[in-house]
Amino acid sequence: MTNSMNNVDYISNLVESNFKLIEKEIVNKNQVSYIIDKESVHSLLTFLKTNGWIQLSYLSAIDWPKENKFELVYIVFNWEMPVYIQVRAMLDRNNPVMPSILPIFPGCKYYERETHEFFGIKFPGNPDHEKQLILEEWDEIPPLRKDFDPRAYSDKKFAKREYTEDFVNLNGQESKQIIRKQRKTKIMNVRKGGKK
Amino acid sequence: MLSTKFTKMTKEEVDRKWWEIGDFFRRNSLWMLMYCTGCCAIELPPAMTSAYDMERLGMGPMATPRQADVLLVTGYLSLKTLRRLIYTYEQMSEPKYVVGFGSCTINGGIYHDSHAVINQLDQYVPVDVYVAGCMPNTEAVMNGFVDLMDLIKSKKANGWKDYHKRYEWYLENQKAALGEVRVHDEFHE
Repeated sequence: MTNSMNNVDYISNLVESNFKLIEKEIVNKNQVSYIIDKESVHSLLTFLKTNGWIQLSYLSAIDWPKENKFELVYIVFNWEMPVYIQVRAMLDRNNPVMPSILPIFPGCKYYERETHEFFGIKFPGNPDHEKQLILEEWDEIPPLRKDFDPRAYSDKKFAKREYTEDFVNLNGQESKQIIRKQRKTKIMNVRKGGKK
Repeated sequence: MLSTKFTKMTKEEVDRKWWEIGDFFRRNSLWMLMYCTGCCAIELPPAMTSAYDMERLGMGPMATPRQADVLLVTGYLSLKTLRRLIYTYEQMSEPKYVVGFGSCTINGGIYHDSHAVINQLDQYVPVDVYVAGCMPNTEAVMNGFVDLMDLIKSKKANGWKDYHKRYEWYLENQKAALGEVRVHDEFHE
């Protein structure tokens, strides 16, 4: 059945009767999202693969610095039934280790290398996961972590072109930028209940 | 009758004459190597095909760096690409010229605060002509090529000589940004 909500119901029944989910969300008729604990990711992915979700479309991570967590996202796709399933798992941010899913989806090899490079998540079981892939000779914390400051890194590493201020202010006009700033502070002041 | 006496030219003068002849032919048949790194590369198809017809300036595409005269750096350069660009630049035979496209090669453009993209191309390889714009108009691109030809004519396109003269300085900058210029990846080892 193509493009039917029955697909989502079918997969929901199938997964919920076999696995204990932490959270589930039906995004739309083509997408379902499950949060599951780290230990049962492998069994859930194996289960999905045997039920037709044979393609690993994507694997990446999300950084949640406030909760001190990394969220791993596996997206699998079924060619018979158009439903993407997102399998999400929370990892500890201080020691992010997730056993590789290389035996289940061999195509995860490069995704895991990329995730290791950009978030620092380790994937034991994938022999190449610590090899460099996109960033070469990186010398800082992984760049897609939220506490990494790309501007500071760029300022430190790359020479910036310096421009001389050689323009002339005709007629002694006030800078439009300053006027704009003043107007904005005035508006904010009024908005917070200050005097006009 | 006019005198047919010639004073014998010194070696420098003969060399200069030969360079002038060489430059005449060189600037009228520039083979370009397109290093299509960023979005400015989309300006090259209209410049090359019938809309602006680059061939009338005597320019044409070349497949290998060994036989190319001009290196076109079209757009932003990530560190990974810069490493390969330096390889490519050093493979080109002399005299060689570099044209930098877009604001990304001038000052970083919209990628000025990215962790992966360099800000100034002329810190790492010498650049003869910049074509500004984000992205530059095709007229601007063509104008840039004509400018390059004029620079060759007036002997001001000396980027490659500068690369010899200040190689230490370039190498220092390259090392500061890249760590090591050598490519280490699974395809090269």
